[in-house]
Amino acid sequence: MRRVAIVGAGMTSFGEHFDLGIKELVPMAVTEMASSVDRGFERSDIQAAWFGELATTDGFPSGILADSCGLLDIPVTRVENACATGQDALRNAVFGVASGYVDVALVVGADKVRETSARSTFWDWMAMTRDMAWDYPLGLVAPANFALHVRRYLHEAPATREHLAMIAVKNHKHAVTNPKAQLRQEITVEQVLSAPMVAEPFGVFDCTPQSDGAAALLVVGEELVSRYTDRPVWVRGMGNGVDRVMHQHKVDMTTFPATVKAAKAAYAMAGIGPADIDVAEVHDCFTGVELMSYEDLGFAERFRGHELVEARDHYVGGRIPVNPSGGLKAKGHPPGATGVAQVTELFEQLRGESTNQVDGARIALAHNIGGPTAVSAVTILDADRP
Amino acid sequence: MITRIGTYLPVWSGRGGRQAGPDEDAITMAVEAGRAALGEIGPEDVRLVVLVTRDFPLMEGGNAAALLAGLGLPRSTDVVERVGGAPAMFDGLTAAEDATLVIGADAAGAAGAAAAWSGVTGGTLTRLARVHRSLPLRARGQDGVVHEDEDPRLQRERGLRASLEASELPGKPISVAGLSSRDAAAWCEGRPPELPTTGASAPLFALAALAELRSGGVVVAVDQATVSAGTWEPGAVVVHRQERPALDAPTRRATPGPEIKLSFAAYDRAFDAKLRWEAGACPTCGTLAFPPRFRCLGCGEEGSVNLVPLPRTGTVYTATTIHVPVPGLSSPYTLAVVQLDGVDVRALVPVTGTGPPSAEIDEPGRLVFRKMATRSGISDYGYAFAPGGGA
Repeated sequence: MRRVAIVGAGMTSFGEHFDLGIKELVPMAVTEMASSVDRGFERSDIQAAWFGELATTDGFPSGILADSCGLLDIPVTRVENACATGQDALRNAVFGVASGYVDVALVVGADKVRETSARSTFWDWMAMTRDMAWDYPLGLVAPANFALHVRRYLHEAPATREHLAMIAVKNHKHAVTNPKAQLRQEITVEQVLSAPMVAEPFGVFDCTPQSDGAAALLVVGEELVSRYTDRPVWVRGMGNGVDRVMHQHKVDMTTFPATVKAAKAAYAMAGIGPADIDVAEVHDCFTGVELMSYEDLGFAERFRGHELVEARDHYVGGRIPVNPSGGLKAKGHPPGATGVAQVTELFEQLRGESTNQVDGARIALAHNIGGPTAVSAVTILDADRP
Repeated sequence: MITRIGTYLPVWSGRGGRQAGPDEDAITMAVEAGRAALGEIGPEDVRLVVLVTRDFPLMEGGNAAALLAGLGLPRSTDVVERVGGAPAMFDGLTAAEDATLVIGADAAGAAGAAAAWSGVTGGTLTRLARVHRSLPLRARGQDGVVHEDEDPRLQRERGLRASLEASELPGKPISVAGLSSRDAAAWCEGRPPELPTTGASAPLFALAALAELRSGGVVVAVDQATVSAGTWEPGAVVVHRQERPALDAPTRRATPGPEIKLSFAAYDRAFDAKLRWEAGACPTCGTLAFPPRFRCLGCGEEGSVNLVPLPRTGTVYTATTIHVPVPGLSSPYTLAVVQLDGVDVRALVPVTGTGPPSAEIDEPGRLVFRKMATRSGISDYGYAFAPGGGA
């Protein structure tokens, strides 16, 4: 397969952008991306676009991307794959480039969570993601969906709510230097533990905020890389994993099999293992999900994720820095944009230009889990040509 | 003859009695009482179900299918829906032939339900009198609005006393259903049994108590100026009470809409398995699937599924209590994944009749018929987990 590299990456700030619609955020992200391309590029270079958007806002997604960015002469495909949406848009663009179908592809991810009221967002979205007869009437909102896993995990593993809190503290600290992050203030373990409950064991500070935002990547075939930069970031591995949709069919809820499968596929494609990862952006919509994912991604032994937390190995400067951007927890989580923004952070990390730089980072991993924990994406990036 | 009596009281204490939980209505309580009454009686021994209540969830659209599903009775069973209070129930009981299940349910006010199955043995209720008179100091019309003109002395003298006199009873009753315990005592000989309700379920709560005491005599059911009376001869009546000690209702905050409408197509597809608590069983390998599914989890066989009953007990595998406001629901509420006893099936269900805090991991309990939500004006029934099980 033809090697594929990312030569540009950019994102809007994440936050409650009441003043910006999807038709503003998408072109803003593309312009941010364009400014990161070292040697510049013409919009006419783009031969196809993949657009990750979870919830449709203000109308037909593909048309909005083409229209708002002035890209009316290329094919545009909208991708929706729950919280794996952004990374799956990238995966499909890589297929397009690797196959030789196109040489230069645009990837955009965006969502406007706060287009609906803070109170009803996840309830409104639930109608899209739950079985209408069996799940929906029960009120299985997003926090509950993950809380059922984490409560069982805390029952079986030695980890405690304090370990979850320590992850929130870490991600808030990481976000302080990130100008694009939504929550840039440090918090304490005590604050996390004493915050109002959302869905046990998650308090308010265990949960991602509701965010609007967009992110964009420029993906090119290996022969074209030098036209745009000397410092490309190579897509080395990609995995997509799924699991049974309904909670009653998930045999062991202390793990996310979707993540295990996605990681296995991505590591195999990259020909590396978890020990080779220098920095990771891990799906932390809720703190406990990040903790469980340490194990599913192979950063920690089963039921020993908390040891990584206690050793502060997940901080920038630690053995396996996780979420230097602040993660979904503090950077924000507009689902369609999230995976693309994770890759944007890792693009900067591997080029040594992140605002929260991991020294000497060469290989990076991005991870999402969603769609009632039934779909996961893992992407492995490399500063060196594989 | 009344062979078996089952009673049900909601667990929540309220003013003047128990109060129905947010997941209960006349149908769910009728199902609880009906199942308690039936016990081991099989569906083939129930020819007719009479439900008496003033609180039918639906006036149009039908309650019978949900009632029969909850009771585990065939769809071909005759159902009579009778609007009324204690006298209407009394009449239903005196008229009941063998293999009839008569259920009275009260969802508003002092809530509860009671059911009797009639067979060839048991106690005998013989009608003595029936008086229909009109003094509607409390009335509710088609618009559902309650009109109440409180005048207890007028009610007592021109309502009850006049109707009782017209009944020409042979002696003082030993129980009057339809009044508060204090008011009832004033009309009775000796000390009548305390009854937890005053509506359609009250006469059977009276007979259940009298059956347990092995007392017989004149029993009366009243509803304002309407009276039914009869003679109760106790026999070997099996009484099964589904009555747990009262708990204080937790403070819950209801959050207004937006409501997501019911998908009637999805409602229809799920109805039998969801309301009858049945799994799909693969005819090839026997693997159970809940909810039933097109492709077998075990062998991949497609398209042919037999519905089989699921166990109604289990233990909590995991659970969470949701504290944030969720439109259309009352928070906090608890959801649990329950491992059912003896089968390789788990179910995601709401937790009922407790806390929060509620539903600890590994806690045992039973699965009970409840309302999951009200959507598009329809009670969306299913099963909830009642921790503690037992009773």
